[in-house]
Amino acid sequence: MIGGTLIAYRWELVKLVAQRRTWLGMLTAAVGPIVYLLLELAQGPPGAPLANNLGHTGVGFALVVFKLIAVVGPAIIVALIAGDIVASEDMEGTLKTILTRSLRRGEVLAGKLLALFTYLAAAMALFFVVSTVGGVIAWGFHPLLNISGSRLSALHALALDVPAVAVYCLPVLALASFGLFLSVVTRQSVAAIGGTLIYAMALQGVAAISAIRSAHPFLLTNQFTAWHDLFQTPTASGAIVRSLWVSAAFALPPLVAAWVVFNRRDIAS
Amino acid sequence: MVQVVRDAAGAPIEARRLTKRYREVPAVDGVDVTVLPGEIYGFLGPNGAGKTTTMRMLLGLVRPDAGTIRLFGRDPKEDLLAALKGVAGIIEEPRLYSYLSGRANLRMLADFDRSGVDRAFVEEVLETVELRDRAGDRVREYSQGMRQRLGIAACLVRRPRLLMLDEPANGLDPAGIRYLRRLLRRLSADGITVFLSSHLLAEVQELCARVAIVAAGRIVYEGEIDELRARAGRRYRLTAAALERAASVCAAVPGISDVAIVDEHVTFAVDADEALLALTRGLAEADIAILALVPEQLTLERVFFELTEGPAERETVPA
Ligand SMILES: Nc1ncnc2c1ncn2[C@@H]1O[C@H](COP(=O)(O)OP(=O)(O)OP(=O)(O)O)[C@@H](O)[C@H]1O
Ligand SMILES: [Mg+2]
Repeated sequence: MIGGTLIAYRWELVKLVAQRRTWLGMLTAAVGPIVYLLLELAQGPPGAPLANNLGHTGVGFALVVFKLIAVVGPAIIVALIAGDIVASEDMEGTLKTILTRSLRRGEVLAGKLLALFTYLAAAMALFFVVSTVGGVIAWGFHPLLNISGSRLSALHALALDVPAVAVYCLPVLALASFGLFLSVVTRQSVAAIGGTLIYAMALQGVAAISAIRSAHPFLLTNQFTAWHDLFQTPTASGAIVRSLWVSAAFALPPLVAAWVVFNRRDIAS
Repeated sequence: MVQVVRDAAGAPIEARRLTKRYREVPAVDGVDVTVLPGEIYGFLGPNGAGKTTTMRMLLGLVRPDAGTIRLFGRDPKEDLLAALKGVAGIIEEPRLYSYLSGRANLRMLADFDRSGVDRAFVEEVLETVELRDRAGDRVREYSQGMRQRLGIAACLVRRPRLLMLDEPANGLDPAGIRYLRRLLRRLSADGITVFLSSHLLAEVQELCARVAIVAAGRIVYEGEIDELRARAGRRYRLTAAALERAASVCAAVPGISDVAIVDEHVTFAVDADEALLALTRGLAEADIAILALVPEQLTLERVFFELTEGPAERETVPA
């Protein structure tokens, strides 16, 4: 299982690198923070967590952008690749080519999932590097006031940025899993990409219903702020731990369903 | 002619009562196919007969509703990868990654085969299909014929013992078809078993000794192509100045039967050369010039007619 998955994973990465839409997603991840930075320079900061640091230091800039892009920003980048990753092969007819070799369908799917997560990690890393470098160029490498108002040295804040971005990725991976599921069942890139975006917006809509306030911590959208734990004094972990299992709970059902459908279905295209 | 050889490992293909329904409509309906080691076996049928669906089931892409499959004696239901060992195929036109080069596609598939095939072998296969000098180009820049050849290369990197090709001549020009025939003969001489589908009898009759004919999901004939030819009889096509009169002359000659006028020709069956001699004499006596007199190609349509004795779609000339 592992050997086959790694072979599929490696070639899935080669395929992603060779496709234009991959670079479109990466470009979005890189250009987004720059556009925001330029807007910020012109207009001044809004009320996002850590936003009071804008103008004083660049180290927290990536995290401030998180507030702005909310759920839909990463959803766009995720949907673009996740929705396409199986469906495009259905439409191009390449599934019949790769599924008559010596890899199990599960290995092919697992390779795709890993490649999808790798792409996401790369896009987030690019996003982080561009926004941090941009922020530092604009405002310098200075200490940062965290959400509780404590002063963190620039290096300390930068060291916390990395796990914060990783924590932010957890619910994004759950979105990606749903996108993969849609890609398997719809067999249509457009339907899967659109469906993933609609799913993300629907989750946001549900989170806006105040009648179910007590359920909010367990909604996927709320996990996008779990990284706040790291920028509090003292540092907390409750929201991060919750994000781990809530994100997993949102990711697993679509992944299992995708697995079952992909293993059983006829390849008749 | 072809000996029924059964080694311990079992025949390359043995399918029994294979059935697949799409929305209750059977696409394949109880098909039996047995392909023996080393032969080039023709799988013939008109559009929509169920050839592709059968091959999809044999390659594990589509799950049969009923029936059994054995590939070299192994059951794909038990272990698909084990059953597909040494088996390669193309269903309909080959589909490879258009944004990768031909070479990258082959290297990927070789890796997916997990057979430890090295890059030198990939180059060798590229040479075999005459794509070496274009191997670095993206597949989207390939012509249809080049894609067909790359598809065959994709099969060959698997070092197959059994090759399944679904209408491989589609989209090939005459030179491409000649090339394909030569290649298949060579592979067959190397001991590779070939299972070849087509909707044209003429396309396979030079290559295959045995064929199955499928229509509406059912096998209507399985056996030697020579027997099929014998059953269909010798037929000729005559082009002459006065068609109606020529047809009457034909009908009057002993040994000539089943005379009909089809598209500005007279067609008929002949039982011996003497009948042809009598016919040319008769035409000369009737002052009718022979513009052409040629043997008819055995066609699938004709075979169907012989097999089913269905109604003729042409006007019959009374003797
Ligand atoms: N995925 C599918 N969904 C529904 N019906 C299908 C599907 N695939 C095939 N069929 C039907 O099954 C029948 C057999 O189709 P198949 O493609 O196997 O025929 P074929 O012999 O390969 O024909 P052709 O010479 O045109 O390639 C047809 O009636 C077709 O419409
Ligand atoms: Mg077909």
